[in-house]
Amino acid sequence: MSRNRPSWAARIVALLGAAGLGLVTSVVAAPPAPPRPAGAPVGARPAPALPPLPRAEPVTVRAPAIGLDAPLVPVGADARGRLEVPSLDRPAIAGWYRHGPSPGEHGNAVLVGHVDTTAGPAVFFDLGRLRAGDTVRVERADGRVAAFAVDGVTAYPKDRFPSDLVYGPNPAAGLRLITCGGRFDPDRRSYVDNVVVFATRVA
Amino acid sequence: MKAKKVLVSAAAGVGLGTLLLPGAALAETIVSPATTPVGGTVVLTATTCNPKSGDAIFRVTGPDRDINVRSTTAAAGGGLSAELFTAGFTLGTYTVTATCGDGSAAGTATFTVTPIGGAPAGGRDAGGGAGSLAAGIALLSSAAGGAVILARRKRHAAMAAAAR
Repeated sequence: MSRNRPSWAARIVALLGAAGLGLVTSVVAAPPAPPRPAGAPVGARPAPALPPLPRAEPVTVRAPAIGLDAPLVPVGADARGRLEVPSLDRPAIAGWYRHGPSPGEHGNAVLVGHVDTTAGPAVFFDLGRLRAGDTVRVERADGRVAAFAVDGVTAYPKDRFPSDLVYGPNPAAGLRLITCGGRFDPDRRSYVDNVVVFATRVA
Repeated sequence: MKAKKVLVSAAAGVGLGTLLLPGAALAETIVSPATTPVGGTVVLTATTCNPKSGDAIFRVTGPDRDINVRSTTAAAGGGLSAELFTAGFTLGTYTVTATCGDGSAAGTATFTVTPIGGAPAGGRDAGGGAGSLAAGIALLSSAAGGAVILARRKRHAAMAAAAR
């Protein structure tokens, strides 16, 4: 009778196998891929004659078309000079590049957020679904809300990132939202592209 | 009629003078490129400075800088130039104000020091998956090894029982 029961050693082997299989499956199973931008050419819309807003820290960003509603924290650059992104421990938070203009000032305000984490989609996962004309609203610490209309959404290889278009001068109040996108390169453990949303202030 | 003629002549004279007067050229400073990743180099050019009047001075002010840079070369298109390395600069926008060797103002321009490249905004970059994969493979290998040992033991036990 007792011979038919699995021994304690067999149980341990089975347990090890199940745990190992679980870990490998969790890594190998492909997580959902972020949506690709439409790829329409980006043309800045004629900016309405709006007086620029004074500098104020942004606190939340909303884009109703993709259900985005996220708090913002100031970010800078890491020791290697790369744009900082909020901690992966808080994947629902986006960052505002504090060395640039604030949303509503003349120039391009830059917001950045993760596309995903090992646990699944993160705050800017759906940026690629935004289309020209969609609205992005940024609430600021001074209580004002800067409203932007999307001009276009484009993916760029990370080694050809358009720094001029993102950080460069803009006589109007612009907004740039950045996340990762494109193909995930398992060797480099990184997405090959950055997705950039270009928007102009309309109210 | 005579007054009208005089007025037209005066206007034509002023217009021609504006076109021909060398001193009327607008003082201009150019920074190229206008945007650079931190650590990059920008070229500062004061287009209206005469090299014979001495070096131009470019005053660079910004988030963490207030420095003077002296021109080092005559610019190909006219004026004087200097190179500026942005290693160690704080990110942000800087203003360049140029003064010619003769003390005349040569205009202002701005440039922006930006982060390097794109944003590492994919959470899978973190490398946590690699650790999990390695641990999973190690556990599977241990399980496979254990299974082989158990199978051998079982076979030996069966053979010993049959020999009795």
